Parts: sequence; C-alpha cells; structure tokens
Amino acid sequence: MISTDPWIWLSALLSISCFSLLYGDNKAFRWAETTYTASVIGHSVVTGLVTLRDRFYPLYTGAQPQYIVPLILGILSIFIVWRKYAWLATISMALMIGVGTGISMRALIATDIIANTRAVIGETAGILKGSPADQLGNLIRVVFTIAALWYFVFTLIPKGPTAKPFSWIQTIGKYALIAYIGVAVGNTMQQFTGCATSAIYRIVGLWLGFG
Amino acid sequence: MAKIPELKSQYIWLVALILFLIPAVNPLGAPFAMSDVTVKIYDLMQSLPEKSIVVMGGASVFAFDIESSPGMIACLKQMAARHLRLVTFPLGTEAAQYHKFCIDAARVDQKYGGPWKYGVDYVLLPYTPGGSAALISFLKSVEATVTLDINGVPINQLPLMRDFHSYKDIAVWMCPHWGFIDIIRYATGECGVISVSFAQSAAYATFSPYMMAYPGKVYMTNGYVGGAQYERLVGIKGLGHKVVDSYSLISVLIPALIILGNITMIVRMKEEEVEAKE
Repeated sequence: MISTDPWIWLSALLSISCFSLLYGDNKAFRWAETTYTASVIGHSVVTGLVTLRDRFYPLYTGAQPQYIVPLILGILSIFIVWRKYAWLATISMALMIGVGTGISMRALIATDIIANTRAVIGETAGILKGSPADQLGNLIRVVFTIAALWYFVFTLIPKGPTAKPFSWIQTIGKYALIAYIGVAVGNTMQQFTGCATSAIYRIVGLWLGFG
Repeated sequence: MAKIPELKSQYIWLVALILFLIPAVNPLGAPFAMSDVTVKIYDLMQSLPEKSIVVMGGASVFAFDIESSPGMIACLKQMAARHLRLVTFPLGTEAAQYHKFCIDAARVDQKYGGPWKYGVDYVLLPYTPGGSAALISFLKSVEATVTLDINGVPINQLPLMRDFHSYKDIAVWMCPHWGFIDIIRYATGECGVISVSFAQSAAYATFSPYMMAYPGKVYMTNGYVGGAQYERLVGIKGLGHKVVDSYSLISVLIPALIILGNITMIVRMKEEEVEAKE
C-alpha cells in the first residue's frame, strides 16, 4: 500500500528527481539539487548554533571559565571575512593547524609506520606456514608492499649493473599500485550499486509499498 | 555492411533500473559466503558482559554511511538483546543524524517495543567539532569534552553517563563511518580499545592493512556484503540482503555491457577500415 507519510513522499520525489538526471538535465533534477544543497547548508548552520550552545554551556554556568579562550579564538576566526582585520583570524587558524598537525604526527608514526611495518614482518613469517592459500596471500602482500614502497622511495634508478633489478622491482611496484587502484575502483562501484539499491528500495518499498 | 544502431545511455540505465527493481519488489535470496571476520565481530559482541558500554562514533557523510547501516542496525539489535549499553559520539555534523537513524531503524527503543530506554541504555551525544583533538579529549575525559546530550540535557543527569568517564569504560568502539583511521590511531593505537568498523566497500581496501597491524584489536566488515553477513548472524533480512540480490543481477549486466561494447568497437573499426579503402 502506498505510504501516507509526507516525509516518505518528499524523499521519494527527491530520489526520482535525482535519478532523472540519467535521462538528461531537467528542471526536476535542478529542484532536487538546489533543495539538497540548501538543506545541507541549513542543517550545518543549525548544527553550528546548537554546537555553540553545547560547547559554551559550562562557560555560561561558570563551571569551566577557561572556555573563554576557545570562544575568543572562535570570534577571531570570523574576522577572515573582513579584509582589514583578516590577520586576526590567522592566530586561531595557526593554532588549529599546529595542534592538528602535532597530534596527527604523534599517532601517524605509531599506527601507520611502526604498526604497519610490524604487520609486514608478521606476514613475512606467515609465508612459510598455514594453508597454501594463506601462504600465497602473505607472499603477494609482502612482495607488493616492498615493491610499492620501492617505487616511491627510489625514484631515481642508479646506473650500472644494478639498474635492471631496480627497474624490475619498480615495475612490480607499479603493478601493485594498479592492482590497488583496481580494487579500490571495483569496491567503489559496489558502493554506488548498493546506494542505488537503497534509494530504489526507498521508492519501491517504503513509498509504493511493494517488496 | 549493416550499420550498428547507436546504443543510447538511457537504454542502459533503463535496463539497470529494471534489474534494480526486481530484487526490490521480489527478493531473490542470492547466496553469499560468510566471512571469518564478521563471525569474529559477532562473537566479540556476544562475549561482552551485560551493561558493557559500546561507543558508536566517527565522522563521514550520511549518504555514504548508508552502506554501513545494514551491519550497524543488525549489531544494535544484537546489543539490545545482549543488554549492552551505547553512547554515540558524532565527530561530523551528519553523523549525529546518522546515529539517530540507525537506532530508530533498529527499533531498539522502548517506544518501538524494544528493550532500550534513553539515558539508561543509550545516550545520543551532540556533534563535537575538533576532529582528532576532540576524539583524544573524549577518550581522556568524557565530562571535560561533552557537557550536554543531543537534547540539551546535562550528561550528569543521565544514569548511563555516570558510569562512563574515559576510554577505560569503553568495551568496543564501533565506527560505521569513513573516518575509521582516526579511531584506530587514537582509540586502538593509543588507548588499546577494540575498534570495529562496518566499513564502506570503497574504504575497505585502504583500511584493511590496519587489521593486520592490530590483530585482535581492529575488525572490519566489507560493505553491504559484510552487512548482509551480519544480518544473517543476527537473524534478520534487511538492506544488506537486498543489495546482495542487486549485486548478483548487476554482475550479469556489467560483463554483458563490456562484451557488447567490445563487439561494437570491433565492428566499427572494420567499418572504418572499409571506408578508408574505398
């Protein structure tokens, strides 16, 4: 049975309007596009206002007076739109970027470099044990990891007798990257197929009442 | 030689639409294999003691997070049945909406006949700006980072939040978002919290090395198929199953289009050769 919920009707009409782009550009798609853009911006503004309330509630109650510092920094960042005093915004921007970079670097070394290196060492040990499928999987991962790293680290190939082996490893590295991109693109296709199914199910199942 | 008629893109979309409509109207029940990792996640959630606190948090875009929802919704049903507790911590503006959507869709609240009561069994926290810095602060001290829930109620008035002070109280961090790397870096890497992601398929290839880097600490399912696997373990048939049906049909269409495209290209090349000779 067709839904009587006005929100589901709106959702279905927006979905159909978005899908209509596949036939060609049209007014229905433009309506859906502008409605979506406006609602995202509207939602961000409302969320921003609610966030201000939540963040500075302890300052308002006096529980955490030190929150005056982020409040001042936040106000300074608004000066970015006023050319004469835009330099004031750089204070809060610099602090934000500095803190962000600092904490990212701290975790990045431990997680992305040390932990991943440890994982590759573990996989190297796994080449000689486990089922043949696991052994092959570990071998491919280790070879591809080393070759891909090699490709980026040794951007200049030395001349002489080592030139050929260097270029072979680089070529394997290129194939590793192509394989990675292929997997990533294939997975992205799956994601879009799934999202389309979700939207079509909303139209057919929730709106029209089939399925 | 007879000319090949031009295949308009609209015809291809029409065929694709019909293939999408079939499982939406009449589920096919296409088979799919179960993943060991998905079973491990299910077993992990089953093994948690009652009243354990699970955090659902991270940042991303709602439209793409839909792919994480089948697994997340099934997991929420499992958590409610196991009497676990949930706190949401959105690090993106749309994540706050998404968390509420998952809880509503799982029908675990008492208003839908479920066992969970707001404030006692689950709490929705508001969007917290600051990205990684906010996450670190939250892990260190919940009270110093968040003071009100999403409805504007001070968190010290909510019974659940009286038991939740820092990362030490978190049993598992669930991240049904793209921004899983931050959770791995800070919640797992620095605090040792087990993290689980119902990852989107586009993110899976990028994030899966972290499962090798943190064995027994980081778990991921892969896209809608992972969601369908979790639905099967929990005993429901949701969006994950419908998408697996679509995958099966679209997987037939894509090779057919590739073959058709190649035949067209070869025939056109021959036509051009003939025209060039003339």
